[in-house]
Amino acid sequence: MARVIVMDLSRHNTVLVGHDRYFVLHTEGRALLVLDRCPHRGGPLSLARRTPDGRRLSCPWHGTKVGVAAVKRTSLPMVRSGDEAVVVLPDGDDEGGEPISVIRKEVLANLPPDAPCAAESAGEAAGAVGAGEVARR
Amino acid sequence: MTIQSAEEEIDRTLGKRIISFARSPLFQGDAQVLHPPNPYRRMLVPDALAEGDFDRPPAAGEWAAHRSLSAHRLLGTFYEADTVLLPEQGLAPLHADFDLFYGSELRELRESSVSALERFAFACLDDAVDVSGAATPEVLDAYFQHVVAEAENGPSPALAAIAAARDRESAADLYLVQLALDGLTEASAMSRNLAGAYGPEQSALFKIFIDEFGYGVYDAKHTTIFAKMLRSRAMATHVHAYWNFYLAGPLATNNYYYYLSRDHAKFFRYAGAVTYAEAVFAPAFVEMVKVFRDIFGDNVDLHYCDEHAHIDEHHGRITREEVLLALAARHGPRVVPELMRGVAEARLIGGWFEDDTAAQIRWSDDLPRHRDLAGTVRLGPEPRRVALTPDSPFGTRSHDDSMVLEVERGEAELITTPTGPPERLARGDAVLIPAGRLYGVRSTAAACDYLLHAVTPDG
Ligand code: FES
Ligand SMILES: [Fe+2]
Ligand SMILES: [Fe+2]
Repeated sequence: MARVIVMDLSRHNTVLVGHDRYFVLHTEGRALLVLDRCPHRGGPLSLARRTPDGRRLSCPWHGTKVGVAAVKRTSLPMVRSGDEAVVVLPDGDDEGGEPISVIRKEVLANLPPDAPCAAESAGEAAGAVGAGEVARR
Repeated sequence: MTIQSAEEEIDRTLGKRIISFARSPLFQGDAQVLHPPNPYRRMLVPDALAEGDFDRPPAAGEWAAHRSLSAHRLLGTFYEADTVLLPEQGLAPLHADFDLFYGSELRELRESSVSALERFAFACLDDAVDVSGAATPEVLDAYFQHVVAEAENGPSPALAAIAAARDRESAADLYLVQLALDGLTEASAMSRNLAGAYGPEQSALFKIFIDEFGYGVYDAKHTTIFAKMLRSRAMATHVHAYWNFYLAGPLATNNYYYYLSRDHAKFFRYAGAVTYAEAVFAPAFVEMVKVFRDIFGDNVDLHYCDEHAHIDEHHGRITREEVLLALAARHGPRVVPELMRGVAEARLIGGWFEDDTAAQIRWSDDLPRHRDLAGTVRLGPEPRRVALTPDSPFGTRSHDDSMVLEVERGEAELITTPTGPPERLARGDAVLIPAGRLYGVRSTAAACDYLLHAVTPDG
């Protein structure tokens, strides 16, 4: 029997399932629960910023730009009614033995590309150059 | 006592302090060429060390001096005593050595001599590098890009020496050993720059650290994949099996990053140096993969090199943009000369690593000719006699000037590489040891005496 959890989207935005972490990504007016793991080396995509066109997430670790379309493909089955979301979790290794928790953490990936956030300062300019370098390669 | 004379007082006794340190039972070596799996024991060759004049730092052109090797062996031991070293097989049989290595007696000797020893070991850089003129972030970046491009285009002297060697496998192993000094404890110096509060640049450095430490996965940690590379060559993987074969240049290179990381007055220099290192690693590992594949085919695990060829592309970019240039932008022109100095020093010391390794490869690969040369040079009077038995502790050393080693009694093995076949020397055999070259001698007879003749300059 698949495991199901219910989360309140007004209070929580992250689900931990064993070693995996999912976060709520807002895209095209919908909320999706997507894997918080960069395909390059596992960097936290929830802390990525959007590229100026809004279509990709720039990973905070090495600047890989991951298309939102690709991130969407990692999303878990979820039914939202108002702020209540019912999530169907993937089968665990050992019959539901993995610990599950629902939390709220900082998610930068939902900010508009140019919005400042608390952690931002002079370093941002340099970061933007870095992302450009990757795109050129 | 003024500060000046207090420092002089410490300097005057530096030689004494480091000799009492080196006389600890941990540092006397044993009859084996390789060190056992015991990170606390390392041969400091105290008798050879005692020959050095520690009031006279090696100057810019004297990096191959024997006292430079001695100083960097000590300094490397000092620095590693500030890190946590535990043997893989467990501490149970080595607890007494652990207590001694980290104990108060050696710690006091280290603490009271480390600054003076650093001044001694790195004085050559003060004379060799000078940064002048207007220092702006633009100047910094122009200089940085220039030296990195130069390093990318220039061939590596050490890799070229491997490719040209008769015994390429031993030459390649010798090179791996020089990398092992850092590879087995990788990013330890970097870890000393993580603490504190210095803004987004601190987080940029931490991102690199995450990679070095394999995201908390032991199998992905760079030290683990380095050991895997050694294992694929059937080489020992413990800290520091090959201690006796670390050359002065590689020791100095490794120590340099600790030196900058121990004293945060040198933080901006560290930032320059680490940026240079990260930028030149990726292309260097690409070249290393080519040379090693050519020699070993698929019989070597080069995951470590592939990993660095990939991830150091990122580290090169992150350090340049988010550390070096970001620090210059945030903290202004006053820090720029120090950032540039770090780049320049890292480049210089990296060149010493390369040249020393290349020279050792060429010499150890060409011993028959150095036997011939021993017969053609003019020898000074009064050679030194060294007596060995098969139980004598094995250690390696170098000399400031070229010497001729001649076996007077018994027979011996001359050992110049970690894995290559030793050179057998019978009674009467002689070989030229060029200035700065590292060697050790093992008696293969019940007793062996050999002579060390100075080579007279016109010889
Ligand atoms: S982990 Fe995301 S770019 Fe490397
Ligand atoms: Fe590394
Ligand atoms: Fe790196």
